[in-house]
Order: sequence, then C-alpha cells, then structure tokens
Amino acid sequence: MSRTLKLSGQVIALAAVAGMLGLLVWRLTHQSHPPKIGGPAPAFSLKRIDGSGVVDLAALRGKPVVLNFWASWCVPCKGEAAALEAAYKRYRSQGVVFLGVDYHDVTGDARTFLSHHDVTYTTVQDGSGMVGDRYGITGVPETYFIDRRGRLVGVHIAGPITDPKLARQFDEGVRAALSS
Amino acid sequence: MILRTAAALVAALVLAAPAAAACTQPRTSLSYLEGQIMCPTCHTTLDQSSAPAALRIEALISKRIAQCWTADQIRAELVQNFGAGILAAPPRKGFDLLAWWLPIAGVIAGAALLAFGVWRWSRARDGDGEPPPGDAGRLDPESERRLDDALARFE
Repeated sequence: MSRTLKLSGQVIALAAVAGMLGLLVWRLTHQSHPPKIGGPAPAFSLKRIDGSGVVDLAALRGKPVVLNFWASWCVPCKGEAAALEAAYKRYRSQGVVFLGVDYHDVTGDARTFLSHHDVTYTTVQDGSGMVGDRYGITGVPETYFIDRRGRLVGVHIAGPITDPKLARQFDEGVRAALSS
Repeated sequence: MILRTAAALVAALVLAAPAAAACTQPRTSLSYLEGQIMCPTCHTTLDQSSAPAALRIEALISKRIAQCWTADQIRAELVQNFGAGILAAPPRKGFDLLAWWLPIAGVIAGAALLAFGVWRWSRARDGDGEPPPGDAGRLDPESERRLDDALARFE
C-alpha cells in the first residue's frame, strides 16, 4: 500500500515537473521575434474597420503593399495621416496597395480618426494587437513594405513619415516593393 | 466663491438627476471597472496606467456608463474590441475556469501531501525503541542454549 502510494507520489511529482518544463519550452519557442527584412511577411486576416468583410494579406500577393500600423490615440499618427494619404494618392496608379492596421484601438475612435483625416485607403482592425506583435512592432506608427512575392523589403520604419529622414526611407521602401 | 460653488452644485444635481433616473438599474462605475480591465499597450490595469490607450478606454467606459450600460455589457464590448486579453482576470466559464480551479486544486493537493507526510513521519517516530512484537524478539532454542553456556562461563 505504502509502496504504491510512494510510487504514485513520485509519478505525480515527475509529471508536474515535466509539465512545467513543457510550458517553459513552449513559451521560449513561441516568443515573438520581429520578422526579418527579406523574409516572408507574417500572414494575417483581419476585419475591415472602414467597411465590411476581412482583408487577407495572402490575397494581396502579386501587389506591392505598404503596411502601416497606427492608432487613434497615437499623437504622431495624427500628423502622419495626411502624409500617408498623399503618398497613397501618389503611388496607387502604380498598383501599390496601402493597408492601415489599427492597433489596440477603440473601434469608434478609429472610425472618427479615419473620417477626420480623410483616409481613403483600406484599414483593418487589430484590436488584440496579435498581428502587431507578430510583426514585432514596439509602438505606433510603424511601417513595413511587402513586395509582390510577399516578402518584406526596404526598411522597417519606426516613427512618422513626417520626419524628413523617415520620409526618404518611405519612398525607398515603396520603390523596393515596386522593383522586386 | 461660495455662491459659484453652490450654483455649480445645483446645476450638477439638476443635470445628473434625470440622467440617473433614466437608468433602469444601478449604474456601474469607472473605479469599479478600471481595476478589472487591462491597458493593452502597457499590460497593467487601467487604474495604474496613464498611457494614451488606457485613457481612451477609460473615456469609452465613462461614455457607456453614462448610457446606462451594465458592467457586463461594457466588458463584453471591450472583449469584442480588444480580445479576452483585455480582462485582468479570466472569465469564470468554460475552459477559462481551469485558471481559477487549478491553483485551488494545487493548494489542496499540497496540503494533503503535507498532511500525509507528517502522519507517516509521526508514525515512524512512535515505532522507534519498541520491542518487536510477537515471537520476532525470541531466540531459537539452539541460540538460547549457546547463550546460557556463554553466560555460565562468566559466573
């Protein structure tokens, strides 16, 4: 009886330790790392905030994409909105798709923001922040460029493109997305 | 100054009374909810955060309270908007119940193991120094004879 109990106790203790180790390994292997430029853009499918339906990144394969993470509570995003809209109008004739990703935001506030800043390109909602985390963003606004083959190209812009240096990087990023 | 304060108080009462009366159930409060909702960008509860995202969520909660929404309705809207991670504690239903019951089960199992260990240890101590029960302590006849012989040599 006591031997059985002792054995059961040992098995339970071993199972608990194995479970903890499993959790640790899972946590370590599932940590989000920012994607590498040149590597594939992390896939996602998100609900549109400016209309109905969802946008699947995979469905945009074959088109250069400018992916901009923003939020209505982000002050620099307000300054950037007009510059992005102007860039969209400048590049859309070349087939460049602009996609706004509203990160950790209140839906009503985001819609007010889009209307107030006359944003006309497609915007999707990442309320839980899962897609932003997958892209390794550390704040908003941040911008990525995706080429026709679904790879990240150019540079990862962390900051508003109203900054002259970032504006140059933005144009380089669009050109990189267009050329490959 | 006193007149101004009194006027503001009267105005607040006049404005607040119909609004409060419009709700069919008691209003929830921001202070009640802000300890239960996480700031999505800084990963602390709203009452501990002054991040812009937290302030926007607080503004939304205040707006919903003014519209007589219940705490459950507000939480549901926030979960729909931000996902279940916006809640500081997991919901008490479905698979999430495990998060509530596992720690309790762990404490009970630990207490039971400790109690069992103490019981075993105290029993082992009680058994120390006692003569072996039954015939186990007696010598066989041959050994008894040899012991008697050995003792006789000393006499």
